[in-house]
Amino acid sequence: MSKKIKQIAIYGKGGIGKSTTTSNISAALSTLGYKVMQFGCDPKSDSTNTLRNGQYIPTVLDTIRDKANVNAHDVVFKGFNGIYCVEAGGPAPGVGCAGRGITTAVQLFKQQHVFEELDLDFVIFDVLGDVVCGGFAVPIREGIAEHVFTVSSSDFMAVYAANNLFAGIKKYSNNGGALLGGVIANSINKPYAKDIIDDFVKQTKTQVVEYVPRSVTVTQSELQGKTTIEAAPDSAQAKIYLNLAKKIAAHESSKTPEPLSVGQLRDWAAQWADHLLALETGTIESSHSNI
Amino acid sequence: MSLKKINGLEITPTHSINQVRYGCTLGAMYSAAAIPGAIPIAHCGPGCADKQFMALAFYNGFQGGGYGGGAVPPSVNAGEKEVVFGGNERLEELIKATLKIMRGDLYVVLTGCIGELVGDDVGSVVSPFQQRGVPICYAETGGFKGNNFTGHELVTRAIIDQFVKDYDGKKEETLVNVWSELPFQNTFWRGDLAEIKRILEGIGFKVNILFGFGSKGADEWKTIPKAKFNLVISPWLGLETAKHLSEKYSQPFLHYPVIPIGAKETSKFLRTVADFAGLKKETVEEFIRQEEKEYYYYLEHFSDFYAEYWWGLPARYGIVGDSAYVLAVSKFVVNQLGLIPASHIITDNPPEQYREGIEKEFRSLSHDVSEEVIFVEDGYWVKKILENTDFGHKPPIIFGTTWERDTVKKFGGQVVEIGFPASYEVVINRSYVGYRGAFALLEKIFTAAISASA
Ligand SMILES: Nc1ncnc2c1ncn2[C@@H]1O[C@H](COP(=O)(O)OP(=O)(O)OP(=O)(O)O)[C@@H](O)[C@H]1O
Ligand SMILES: [Mg+2]
Repeated sequence: MSKKIKQIAIYGKGGIGKSTTTSNISAALSTLGYKVMQFGCDPKSDSTNTLRNGQYIPTVLDTIRDKANVNAHDVVFKGFNGIYCVEAGGPAPGVGCAGRGITTAVQLFKQQHVFEELDLDFVIFDVLGDVVCGGFAVPIREGIAEHVFTVSSSDFMAVYAANNLFAGIKKYSNNGGALLGGVIANSINKPYAKDIIDDFVKQTKTQVVEYVPRSVTVTQSELQGKTTIEAAPDSAQAKIYLNLAKKIAAHESSKTPEPLSVGQLRDWAAQWADHLLALETGTIESSHSNI
Repeated sequence: MSLKKINGLEITPTHSINQVRYGCTLGAMYSAAAIPGAIPIAHCGPGCADKQFMALAFYNGFQGGGYGGGAVPPSVNAGEKEVVFGGNERLEELIKATLKIMRGDLYVVLTGCIGELVGDDVGSVVSPFQQRGVPICYAETGGFKGNNFTGHELVTRAIIDQFVKDYDGKKEETLVNVWSELPFQNTFWRGDLAEIKRILEGIGFKVNILFGFGSKGADEWKTIPKAKFNLVISPWLGLETAKHLSEKYSQPFLHYPVIPIGAKETSKFLRTVADFAGLKKETVEEFIRQEEKEYYYYLEHFSDFYAEYWWGLPARYGIVGDSAYVLAVSKFVVNQLGLIPASHIITDNPPEQYREGIEKEFRSLSHDVSEEVIFVEDGYWVKKILENTDFGHKPPIIFGTTWERDTVKKFGGQVVEIGFPASYEVVINRSYVGYRGAFALLEKIFTAAISASA
């Protein structure tokens, strides 16, 4: 039998940094010597851009649209350091069914045993924003990804989205679906941001895998069409991504999270709002103010 | 699509299907219903299941639904609510209710288009039941995946992977799994599978026939992994299953594209299979001797009619239908009756990769007969092709379906309905294959031919 392929899905609110983080994880894993595939599950089909000098690749669904029998290998493109890049793609905005598109694209790869054939160590699914319908839950269903990581900032909307995702994971958890590896805290610069995320993972019985600061190096790299790992390998930010990748590579067992109910989440957010207001008006001092 | 030119006609895609000649993927409910004691559960919208019933099991030989088909299968009847909120809960409820009131040895959940489009995770609903030891499995048979042939292999695979499961024990030396006609789609499958089982047992096999009366249902399916090999008797259907089984249980398979009709083909078939399996020659030859003795006893009497009535019998034939029967019947009527082929039309939409193999079979229909075959699904083209065929000066015999009736009326031939839909046939367990089925076919052909002037 072939080796066990680690299949990971990255979820999170729209625009929170999923693709950026995923691409940097893929790039870092590949520099560590692993064979990686990054599978973009987003009709925008821009997940793998920074692995391929900013270039778009033909998507699985565009190819299926024109041809009845698609060889999955025809929609796999090599990117930075030999990373296999795939974009599921989808219908034009406002028409068709993007969720079904994701299902179709993922199934094509499963049916043709592509992951095994390419002898991969990692497949990372970068999945569009919120899990809006059944199709977007496909990567966390039985037999596809085993570990889910959520990218979240300390913004409440991002936390809400993460909490929703936890609910989805919990729902499928006793039927062999993917479990939660943890939260990748993105754009964490302010001390209170770390406090908020730390508190959230405590409440929901999960963990933070890595704190990734917001950094201009990321922006500069992106403008060159590259990941930070490729464009600025010696930067502090690249070290953080590398660290994150190592943690993911070492990560073994994921767990079922305990999402907050809507009421709990609201109360939790209200408490933090009061706290932040107090911080701003100087009523209290941040516990990290001396760092 | 391997469309092309035939009889001076340029066959172009029509992007439509007039006069359907198969069911949708969900029609594979009838593959489940064909297993004694099995009950299909439909995860689809209202009307889907009924349409498959009416098409496949009613206006097709009036075969009837039996224990698990017809009006029996429970359905989710998904509506607006299940589309918007997902149908998982409704399905769970339905399975629970089914288990309460319907006794089955095997339950097969089949998903229709709705559940698959909205992304219902049927696996997550079914697997807790499986973990509790309920004999249940699920197949994703959304209608957009293809026809009921596609569905058949999906259902078969689902049962094997989820119900039969892994096995690495001993094999039984003479046990064979048979994968042949598509139940219900082939109007004569019940009688045919019985005859195939009979002749294979005659030469010394134990036969897992898997569908129909001769199958022992779920218990028999459980013994699939013990078989020494898989026997695929059809031009293409069953090959996916056989390939899967060869990986899963390290079972080799023998692909025999021609379902044998008549003594010549059947004896050849039996010898090939026996040879493959290494059966004892004496037993095989003894059985063949007995069968041929009986066969030729009857054929001898028939030959008076065939020799004397020449002036009123058709000389040429056209044939329309599923690849399995189009090939099997053509072989028989060309080699045994000396009929002259005029056109061969295959309508079951075989997967692209198998078409060349099928074409090759027709190029060696007989040692001196090489024929072309055309793949179309639209009734419009079937009609056009038949109308453009030169059948000579005598009215031909057309092996086809009820759809061919009107076309053939115009040029004055006789129709023998050999496939879906056969709405002017009542079929209980009639068979057209093997030693015995050949006579039923002969009777049918010539009764049709001579009663034309009645
Ligand atoms: N740590 C960071 N530092 C600086 N910029 C960042 C960081 N993370 C993400 N960004 C920037 O934020 C923007 C959005 O990121 P990205 O495209 O990765 O988000 P996404 O979650 O994939 O979005 P979508 O949901 O639209 O797919 C990008 O311009 C990216 O460069
Ligand atoms: Mg993205």
